This record gives sequence, structure tokens and C-alpha cells, in this order.
Amino acid sequence: MNNRSQNTAPPLLKVDGLAVDYATSAISLRAINDVSFELRAGEAVALVGESGSGKTTTAMAIAGLLSPNARVVGGEVRYRGRPLPIDDDALMRPHRWSETSVIFQGAMNALNPVHRIVNQIAEPCILHGMSRGEALARATELLALVGIPADRCSAYPHQLSGGMRQRVMIAMALACRPSIVIGDEPTTALDVINQAQVLKLLVDLRTRFNLALILITHDLSVVAESCDRVMIMYSGRIVEDGTVAEIFAEPKHPYTRLLIDSIPTPGEGKRMLRPIPGDPPTLVKRPSGCAFHPRCPSAMEICTTEAPHLKQFGKGRVACHLHDSLPAADKVSANA
Amino acid sequence: MSRRIGGILIRAVMTLLMVATLNFVLFRVIPGDPASLLLGGARISVTAEQIEAQRQTWGLDKPLFPDQVIDYLSATLRGDFGFSFKFRGKHVADLILERLPATIALVGLAQVIAVLCGVMLGVYAGWRRGGAVDHVTTGISLALYSTPSFWLGMLLVVVFSTALRWLPGYGASSPGVIVGSFAWLLDYLWHLALPVLAVALGLIGQYVVVARAAMSDVVTEDYMVTARAKGLTNRQMLMGHAFRNAMLPIVTLVSLNLGYVVAGAITVEAVFAWPGIGGLTVEALNARDYPLLQGIFLLLGVSIVIANLMADLIYGVLDPRVKQ
Amino acid sequence: MSKINVLSRSRLRARAISGFLRHFIGHGGAQLGLVCLGFFLAVAAMPDTLVGPLETAITATGDFLAPPSRLHYLGTDEVGRDVLNLVVHGARISLTIALLATVISLVVGTTVGITAGYFGGLADVCLMRVTDFFFVVPSFVLALVITPVALEAMGAGGEILGFRPSLFVIIVVIGLTSWAFVARVIRSQTLSLKERTFIDRARVAGSSNTSIMLRHILPNLVPQVAANGALVVANAIYIETSLSFLGLGDPLQPSWGTLLSLAQRSGAASVGAWWYLGAPGVCVLTVSLAFVLIGNALDDTFNPRRRVIP
Repeated sequence: MNNRSQNTAPPLLKVDGLAVDYATSAISLRAINDVSFELRAGEAVALVGESGSGKTTTAMAIAGLLSPNARVVGGEVRYRGRPLPIDDDALMRPHRWSETSVIFQGAMNALNPVHRIVNQIAEPCILHGMSRGEALARATELLALVGIPADRCSAYPHQLSGGMRQRVMIAMALACRPSIVIGDEPTTALDVINQAQVLKLLVDLRTRFNLALILITHDLSVVAESCDRVMIMYSGRIVEDGTVAEIFAEPKHPYTRLLIDSIPTPGEGKRMLRPIPGDPPTLVKRPSGCAFHPRCPSAMEICTTEAPHLKQFGKGRVACHLHDSLPAADKVSANA
Repeated sequence: MSRRIGGILIRAVMTLLMVATLNFVLFRVIPGDPASLLLGGARISVTAEQIEAQRQTWGLDKPLFPDQVIDYLSATLRGDFGFSFKFRGKHVADLILERLPATIALVGLAQVIAVLCGVMLGVYAGWRRGGAVDHVTTGISLALYSTPSFWLGMLLVVVFSTALRWLPGYGASSPGVIVGSFAWLLDYLWHLALPVLAVALGLIGQYVVVARAAMSDVVTEDYMVTARAKGLTNRQMLMGHAFRNAMLPIVTLVSLNLGYVVAGAITVEAVFAWPGIGGLTVEALNARDYPLLQGIFLLLGVSIVIANLMADLIYGVLDPRVKQ
Repeated sequence: MSKINVLSRSRLRARAISGFLRHFIGHGGAQLGLVCLGFFLAVAAMPDTLVGPLETAITATGDFLAPPSRLHYLGTDEVGRDVLNLVVHGARISLTIALLATVISLVVGTTVGITAGYFGGLADVCLMRVTDFFFVVPSFVLALVITPVALEAMGAGGEILGFRPSLFVIIVVIGLTSWAFVARVIRSQTLSLKERTFIDRARVAGSSNTSIMLRHILPNLVPQVAANGALVVANAIYIETSLSFLGLGDPLQPSWGTLLSLAQRSGAASVGAWWYLGAPGVCVLTVSLAFVLIGNALDDTFNPRRRVIP
């Protein structure tokens, strides 16, 4: 399918044509549509997009954590070649945390305020077969690994700083030795210094334990330091997929280019903030054709009527009519 | 921690002081001579010596402030609330103590039943929000919540006592039973059944509403998503993560509620002629027996303060965040 | 402020109100509550037209404690009065007491809450201490000791503003003892409003504290006052019924609580006269449920995340 299919090892995770609806009392709204990608063991992929672009829905679907009003209406997710029952709570239970764990955004709320952190980390271990003693030992070891001193192990979440709480979340995610960790904006709630430290910790631990990481973020600058590959999502679809190097050097989708341009660069002075014009589409009011066309600087006639498909393009994939027929490089520069 | 307890104690003392102040002021607003009021008002004849003696004990010949206030407060602290009008010559404190056990039995039993049933039902309804159990439970609870419990009591009498003749609807004991025997205890509980049911039903409605709201809030918390992601079963999520957090607001509301429970019990006791504080209150009201009424008021104030203190203590145990 | 700005603001407000009404009326609980309430308000508005003047022991026509029949749809009481007649007249008395007490309670609670929240500091501390007291001590308990004393001090004869003294005292006492909850809600709301820019703008423009509180803060408190007001009415009905049941009402102007008290004294429950005690009780239940439902629906509409009732 793409360049990675040449590898002999089967992908750890294969998402194929995934579509999820959110049902309200009257209507049902498509949150993600035709999302397809592969994830190899040990690979770090960033899922980037504005809020409402479907990145969190995609990640939660993979983890089998969709909210009760969400329905998988198409496609499937395969884990190590076998289909995952992502819409069946009971069947997903053994898979959870032992295979796929999640680092949630905002550890203050994601940790239970009335339980000690060491017990919260030990809990999934006990659930997945360890004895209580083993589980507590493992929890203490993990806390040491993320740099929480031994005397703070029996603290409650509120007694720790924001950075420490996020480290606890990371330790918790590693508890059952999963092969995939989903980071849902794991550094967003932190200040800049803590953000850098927590991100570095995450990158180190990923290499050390050969974890596959799916990093959800709206911040492209986080991606460069921590991921191998980037998938850009817009209005429920993947619009571009490529290696970090490719995407930053030569973004193909106009949206990606605008995203990269909007990263504030130190030293650039006055032009620091360049927001993308227009508002992101809502689930209720989605533009016809390519959902990005109302904001796209290179929009054409066809963009308003026909949605572009995600096509192989060089080493990556892109969904844009600009790249329908012509060879890549010319077209991009012609419209730059 | 000590600062927190200090604040709690100050609040408790303030509340009691307000109750005492109100009693002091009210008693002096009533037309007529406080001394003769203390001896039974104008309704009975008393000698001038008696009035004079009373005037001295209570310091009514001294200036209102500060002497009378101080005398009043010290008498109150000693447990001397004066004499009842209606039960002539009897100390208010003795009358109250005599009637207290019956009310404690009624209120205590009803409270325990209501907390167990109400919290369990409400927690379940909030957990399975929007389900059939939720709709039925919430509907019934709202109706119970809006019903005066004494009226429930009257209905219970009509149905279970008058029509079906299953349970007694009047008094606390059958004639001829020896007080203190096992048969007496059974008979007592037998008489207690309907009053307890009346008080408990009203409370259940209230606690279901409260527990359901608390649980609905907890269910939407992020840590519940974490618990689900960890692979916990619904039952494990409920017992291990949701319940204890939901208990925090419930504990506060249930103990703050004690004043309302006693208030409800007063009217229920009147329906069933239950020989407790409620019955005493009605007698005091009918006879305009102010010293007795104020003694009862003080008792209610003290029990409300105690309930609040207990709520704060339990809350401190349940929620690690308050122990800083 | 330009004219266009004012215009668009009033249009915005109109749109917000119509959106609110659509949402509120669409609420199942609110519909039920409004229908019940409308019915009882209509009944309370014209008791004489519906059932004739209030019957007394002298004008009573029926047998003693007769069960419902074609002559007396809800039976008769222990002196032969028509229960339907009593209940319809009771509606007027019960609802008037509850609504007037609520008005007092809302005025006191809002005043205390705004003052404490707006001025802060010592005023806040003192007012909230007082509020704490009224919050923990149930107004029913307070009313229980204050009402008889107030009655004794005022005497029991004559009428005040068309009410027998005991009813007047009950209105005032309920109103003055059940505002603490409102004050707390209003205070916290005022605290958050105070931080908003339009208050600063008004202050810079030279508005006095009173005018800021009345013209800028108060209108924004309407949702809270309305939602809590409905619950205060339900509570006032409960207190009035309980007080009257204990004999503090006035037999010459019987409310539903007084009727229940008369039913209890006549031993209606033990002779199985269910109509006598059932009719006023059902009325109390329905009206107070209606207000609870309306209050919840209002709260739900203003504040959709914290839903108490489905």
C-alpha cells in the first residue's frame, strides 16, 4: 500500500477505512471518515490537527475508548493481524492497557483524587494478572523510572506538581508493558520547561522500551523532536501523511503548509504569529467537496464539488486536487 | 489541618451563640413579665415571693446587658432552661431528656434506612443514567421529595392501620406490656414501623436526587475514562473509582440534612402521637409553653452543630485533599 | 454606546430569550410543571366563581365525614363542609402565602448575596456568617419558635393587608428564614460577574456602586434568581403546610396545611376518611412538584452541563 509494505514484518496496527459517527438525539454526525494508516512496532506517529479535526476520535477508536454515543460505521482496526473489537467494551477489556495504553491530557483530572498514585499505577497490573506485592513493586520501580522520588510514591495527586503528575501518567501508561502508547496532548497543560522535560522523558522511554507512540497534538513544533512520521488531519480525514523530514521540508497539502508557516520561529520578529485565516469546519456544517477549500489559498473549481482521495505521493500520501495529475514538485512550487 | 478544625469549631460556636441569642431576644419580646412567664405565665396564679425568687435566680432585676445576657448564657450552659408552663414544676431539661430516646430511635432508624436505600438507588440511577431504572426511580423520588412526610404518614395510617389493620398507627406501646422486656422491645418496634417508614420515604426521595446528581457528575470525570482505559469492568469502575468520589458531596448533604430530618420527624410524630420531641413540640406549641419551645430549639441547634462537625470529620477521612 | 450597538444588543437579547424559551418549553418536566401550576393558579384566582364562598360550620350542608358523592365530589369534613370547597379556597391561601414568602426571601437573599459578593471584605465576612447560620438551621425550625412569639406579640385579632395575623406572621417568618440558599448562589455568581469587563467599564464611566449593582449585576442574575426562586416556592409550601399542620395556621383562612391539621384532629386517618386528608395532600404534592420540575428545567436550560433531572 505504501512504502512500508515492503517491510517483511506485518504492521503492529492497521487501520483501514475507519469511520465513526456521533449520534445525538435527532441526527448523527460523522466525526472521522475513511481513516487508513499503519503503525509499525516502535514507530512514533504524530496525529496533528485543529480541535474537531477527529484526531482524538481516531486515537480513542484505536484504544476502544469511544464514548457511548459514538458508533463505528465503517472500516476496521487490526492489531498484529487480528481484527480488534473496538466497539465491544467487554471484548476490548483484556486488550486495554496491556497492549494499548493512554497518556491523558491534564493529569490532574485524569488521576483519581482519592487514591494514592502508587496504587493507581499498580491497579492495572493487578487487573492483568500480577499479585498485589508484585504490582506495588512494579509501580514503585516505574515511578523511579520517571523520576519521582521514592518518598513521594504514596502521595495523592493533588500533592504533586503539574509536571510530576504528568510523569505519573507516563509511568502508569507503561505499567503493563504495552506495545502502543497513545499520548493525547500529553504536554499541553504544562508550562514550557515542564513541557520540554516531559517530552524528552517520553522520547527516551519510547526508544528504551521500543514502544509504538501515537502522539496527538495541535502543535507541530512538538512533533519534530519526538516523532518519525506525521499525519495531518482536517475535518475528520487524513489530508497528508509523511515522514517528519518530508513534511517539514516539503509540505504538499496547502493546509500543512499553513500549519508549518504558523509555527512561531524565534528571531523572525514581527511575523511571529500567522494564524490560518477562517474557522475550522464544525461537524454540523461541513463544506462541500474538499472541506478545506473555503480557507485554502489555492482552491480550484473542482475543490468545491469533489472531495479529494488520499493518494500515494512520493514517499507519503496526500489528499489534494493540486496533486491529482501533475508531478509533485512543479505543482507545489507553481502554487506556492 | 488544625486551621481547618479551628475554623469548623468557630463556625459551630457561632451557630450555637446565634441560637442562644435568638432564644434570649424572643423571650423578652413576649409581652408580660419574664419572671411570671418563667413560672407559667399569667395562666396560673403564683405568689409574689415565687416571682421574686425567680427574678433573683435569673437576675431579671439587673440591667439587660451585660448582666442578664451573662446570667442567661451561664444558666443555659448549666443546662438550666427554666420550668415548663404546661408540665408545671418540671424542668424543661428533664422533659426533653425524657422524650429524647423515642425521637433518636425514630430519626436514627429512618436516617439509616433512607441513607442505605436512597444512596444506593441514587448512585445506581446516576450510574445508569437515562435507563429505565433511572427514569422510574427519579420520578418516584421527585414525588416523594415534594410530599410532606407527615402526609405520607397519614396515608400510611389510612392504608396499613385503618384499612388493612396490619400495623399500629398510634402511640408507642400496647397496653399491658412490661417496659424493658423483650416483648416490649418487639412491641415498640412494631409501633415504630409506620412512623419510621413515613420519615424514611421522604428522605429517600431527597437522597436519591442528591446521590444521582453526585454520581452523574462523577461519571463525566476524566479519571473515569482512565479507569475504563485501564481495562476495569463496569463494576470495578463503580466500586473502585466512582463510588468514593460520589460519596463526598453525599456525606456533606446527608449530615447537613439532620436539621431537616428532625423537622420532618416533628410533624410525623404529631401524626402518630409518638412520644418524642416532636410530640412535645406540638404540646408546647398548643400551650404556648415558651421555655419548653426554646429548650427544644436549643436542642435542635446543638444536634445540627454536632451533625455538621461529624460531616466535616468524615469528609476529612474520605477526601485526602482537605488534609493539607 | 452607539445606537446600532444598542439595537443589535437588544436583538441579541431577544434571540437569546426566544432560544431559551424554545429550549425550556421543550423540556418535558417543564411542560408538566407549567400545566399543573397553571391549573392551580386559575383555581386560586377565582375560588368564589368555581365553588361559591368559603363554607363554615354554619353554612355547611353535608353530612359529617361523608365520602365522595355526586353532591360532594370530594366528600365532606367533620362538620359537614364540602372538601372541594375548602381545597379550592385553600389553594388561594396556600399559593399566596408561598409566593409572597418567596418574594421576601428572594429580595433578602439577593440583597445579601449581591452586597456580600460586590463589596467583599468585612461586609462579606459578616453577611456570610449570618447566612451560614440560616443555612444550617432549617427555616422550619426557626419558624417554629419565632411564629408563636410573634403571634403573641401582635395579638390574634383583625387583619393585616387582608391576612389574618397568623398568616401574615407565617409569610414574613418563612420569607425571613429561607433566604440563605439564595444568598449563597447569588454571592458566588456576583463574584464571578464582578471580574467581567463590563463592570469595570461601568465603574470607569462613573457609575455609583448602587447603580452598578442594580443595572449591571442584577439583570445578569435573573437566571439564578428564577431557577432558585422556583425551588424556594416549593420549600415555602412545605414549611407553610408543616407549620399549619402543627396548628399555627388560621382556621378562618384555612390553607391546605390547616385542612390537614383539621383532618388530623378530627381523626380522619383512623376512621379511613381518605378524601378529607387526601385532597389537600394531593394539592400540596402537585403544586410543590410543579415548582420543583420548573426549577430543575430552568436550571437545566441555563446550565445544561449540570443536569439534576432528566
